[in-house]
Amino acid sequence: MAANRLVGRPVSGESLIPMSQLKTQLVILIGISLSVIVLYGFLYLEHEWEIGLLLVTLPVAILLLKRANMLIYFQTAARMMPRFTLVSFVLGVLALILLLRHEHFALLMLTTVLLYVTVSLGLTIQFGFAGLVNFAAIAFFGIGAYSMAVLNHNFHAVPDLVIILFSGLISALLGALLILPILRTRGHYAALITIAFGILLRTFLEVNDVFGGPQGLKVDGLEILGWDFANSFPSVLGGGSFYMAYAIAALLLAAAAYLLTRLIEASWFGLNMDSVRLDEVASASFGINAPRWKITAFMVGNFFAGLAGAVYAAMSGFIAPASFNFADSLLLVSIVLLGGIGNAVAVIPAALLIVVLPEKFQVIQEYRLLLFGIVVILILRFRPNGLIPRGLRQYFTGSSA
Amino acid sequence: MDPGFFAQYLINGLVQGITYALVAVGFTLFFGVLDVIKFSHGDVLMLGAFTALALFLGLDQLSTPAWLSLTIMLCLGVVAMALLGALLCKFLVLPLKESPPLNTLLITLMFGSVIREGVRLFFPNGSNPKPFPALLPETSINWGNLNLRLDSVILIFTGAMAIVLTHLFIQKTRMGLAIRAVAQDEETARLMGINFNKTVLMTFALGSGLAALSGISTGLYYQEINFSMGLMLGVIGFSAAVVGGLGSIYGAIVGGLLFAFLQTLGAIWFSVPAYKDVFAFTVIIMLMAWRPTGLLADRSAERV
Amino acid sequence: MRPAVLKTEDLTVKFGGLKALNGLDFELCEGQFLGLIGPNGSGKTTFFNALTGIYRPASGNVFLHGKDITGVSPNKVYGYGITRTFQRLRLATSLSVLDNLIIGNQRNLNFGIWRNIFDRKYFKSQLKEQTEIAEDLLRRFSPDLAALLLKPISSLSMIDRRRVEVCRALISEPKILLLDEPSAGMTPDETRALMDELQGWRAQHPTLSTILIEHEMELINKVSDTCVVLNYGEKIAEGKYSDVSNNPSVRAAYLGED
Ligand SMILES: Nc1ncnc2c1ncn2[C@@H]1O[C@H](COP(=O)(O)OP(=O)(O)OP(=O)(O)O)[C@@H](O)[C@H]1O
Ligand SMILES: [Mg+2]
Repeated sequence: MAANRLVGRPVSGESLIPMSQLKTQLVILIGISLSVIVLYGFLYLEHEWEIGLLLVTLPVAILLLKRANMLIYFQTAARMMPRFTLVSFVLGVLALILLLRHEHFALLMLTTVLLYVTVSLGLTIQFGFAGLVNFAAIAFFGIGAYSMAVLNHNFHAVPDLVIILFSGLISALLGALLILPILRTRGHYAALITIAFGILLRTFLEVNDVFGGPQGLKVDGLEILGWDFANSFPSVLGGGSFYMAYAIAALLLAAAAYLLTRLIEASWFGLNMDSVRLDEVASASFGINAPRWKITAFMVGNFFAGLAGAVYAAMSGFIAPASFNFADSLLLVSIVLLGGIGNAVAVIPAALLIVVLPEKFQVIQEYRLLLFGIVVILILRFRPNGLIPRGLRQYFTGSSA
Repeated sequence: MDPGFFAQYLINGLVQGITYALVAVGFTLFFGVLDVIKFSHGDVLMLGAFTALALFLGLDQLSTPAWLSLTIMLCLGVVAMALLGALLCKFLVLPLKESPPLNTLLITLMFGSVIREGVRLFFPNGSNPKPFPALLPETSINWGNLNLRLDSVILIFTGAMAIVLTHLFIQKTRMGLAIRAVAQDEETARLMGINFNKTVLMTFALGSGLAALSGISTGLYYQEINFSMGLMLGVIGFSAAVVGGLGSIYGAIVGGLLFAFLQTLGAIWFSVPAYKDVFAFTVIIMLMAWRPTGLLADRSAERV
Repeated sequence: MRPAVLKTEDLTVKFGGLKALNGLDFELCEGQFLGLIGPNGSGKTTFFNALTGIYRPASGNVFLHGKDITGVSPNKVYGYGITRTFQRLRLATSLSVLDNLIIGNQRNLNFGIWRNIFDRKYFKSQLKEQTEIAEDLLRRFSPDLAALLLKPISSLSMIDRRRVEVCRALISEPKILLLDEPSAGMTPDETRALMDELQGWRAQHPTLSTILIEHEMELINKVSDTCVVLNYGEKIAEGKYSDVSNNPSVRAAYLGED
């Protein structure tokens, strides 16, 4: 019975390998450890030749694993126990953060990657699921950042956690202004509207003294549950970089966003979003209220961007309109395309590559937009589903029925 | 208001509006034949202006007379961009014909970003604004508060001529007929023996040539160009095309003039200059929400 | 006479200057199986689109059980129990057969946030229920197809896709079923099998009313209670197939002499 197949064992016809629970967990742990080691390499290695070596060996290693039919073990295992995989990954990265606790730069990069992952997950919901283009991701990130700056400065009594949440909400609500024109217009006018919004928002911030004009605003640091982020790690435990607390916060944020994205995907919400993206007319003929799902996707995605922006603002201590450029929105779109449209997992390696490579190769830094532009063009032309294409929809991939 | 001031605003607005209309005509052409949005349009415009500038710098070394320089810049700039447009179409747009329209949009957007970055990085000192030579006669007449510059008149005239010629080309020539046929219905056009690919390439060349023209006009008018000018002009041109009604040349003209008109209004009403764009876009986006298929285009239903 | 469930009065749809439907008066009774025929471009599909809210009529009205539903949005029309298939298939090809069928069963899904995102146990039971419904339905139409439940539509043959479309329209147990050339591209045997299944379903759901657009006259003759002939957007004949087929204006329309 398909019903049993569906909830009892992994589905979708790939050749799957039966494994005991213990073995599955073991495979997951090995896989996660390997990924965390690679992550460590990307963040910690400094010399260009080292990173270059990593960049060359990694695909070769993955290819070899695939040839040796080992990759499928990892994939199967991760599908069988998605929650265990997520928790081990979070713990693995947490361990990495502790390991790197004195490395300011590595932690800063890791935090940036994680915040970009969060925004990209928002984009995944918006145009991976609901097919709604958004070229103003960085604007919504910026709205979150400015909200954080203003709210945190003016409402000392309110816990910072609440302020972060509010920043996300403000971002989602301001995005709601665009909903009517986006819904009323067909096709890709949404692209135009969001681009215009992004450009105008920047202009607006630049000429408004309330928001500090072109000079921008200073932002207070975070204090969550009595932990003043600036003081970092209790010195009893060896102290650590200023960025450590932010890295942990960003990790938790990204993990939560990931979990929510996956849950949305694996529910009727995700099904209806996919249906709206693939065929709006047919969807409507079967009772699907397309605007409802587009609005949901748009709001949730911008909420993610706003949250990430708030954490970013507190971490940088200072924000200005110039940090929220149209080019950065393109970079975020590149992450989603490079990874594989609609694949939530894929944004993690993609964000890592797009954020870290320019930092490591100083030559690239200046040319990064050019290079990523070319890469995305090639991807769209020759591998439109990205490096890790999204698979068939899956609701439950797992464990016991 | 003082009639002199009024006339001044009118003239300035017309120069702007014609430029926008030129860009919008491009969007309308591409959309007509292929139902695609070519987002790199604004950047092609910018590259056209930079090509002309580079030519000028070369010709200046040879101390060529201004009128000759200008002619060469115009011709070569337009031809180069037409060629680029056709190449873009051949290698990036047509191959993606069967994939989701979103991909075409993204690939042209990224192509625009590549052009932008290319100019910023490889044009000497490209990240800074560049002075553009004032090659048009600088004569002007003062009439009360009106300062009528001869170059404005020339630019308005040239732009309007270009649009009229495009219109005639599409209405009166064989190639124009093919373009219209393809825009109507690709299948039928093919059955009628029209070379689809060639027609589409021609359209892209035509639209991109017009973009180069508007880029050079912008340079001549403001006497300054920069690598990111195409972004805003592209977005404005697209908005103009949409508001007028994608697929209609009249719509593009109406949309372009309307946008310039709104900007002028905004400039009069708001003390902060930057708000004129915020104002214009807000109104335009509201218009789009009100009339999603544009002010002039007929509302055709998607065929089910 | 059985009560009329669906009725249109003076229904007109225009595309620019073209009247694709011209003042159509039409009636469908409960449990009736009505064949809708007419030459290419006579407005049959347009009629379905006007009924389901995809095209907005220029004038005239649509009544469902006497209630005016003219110009209502497609998703509301589905809510009233009217479902359809499309002449050119409109399945979500990158989704599985199961997903497509569940989409067809919108009405019976629970869309609470809690029930979808957080209470995954409940969601799992819902999914299981939907899967069983879908699988049962498929099995009635073709046991082989039921085995492909979890395969993407893109891996299916044309015939199977058509079957899935019919199943998607049936899974929510509609009151009115609109079939737009479901047999296009099928062999006579396959068509017969499909129609037998359909008749089986109708036997179990006697109140279901069906409109079938079809070019295959034999089929119309066999399955329909009555038929309506359209030409240039107008109804030119109506009645039993045997009567209609001998009507001179119908013959003229099909032979193209006007
Ligand atoms: N969205 C549309 N825009 C413009 N014209 C349309 C549209 N939909 C249908 N038409 C026109 O309306 C007329 C009726 O078309 P319709 O599709 O309803 O015919 P049909 O009877 O279903 O034909 P067939 O047997 O070929 O399916 C045709 O002339 C067609 O070209
Ligand atoms: Mg039809």
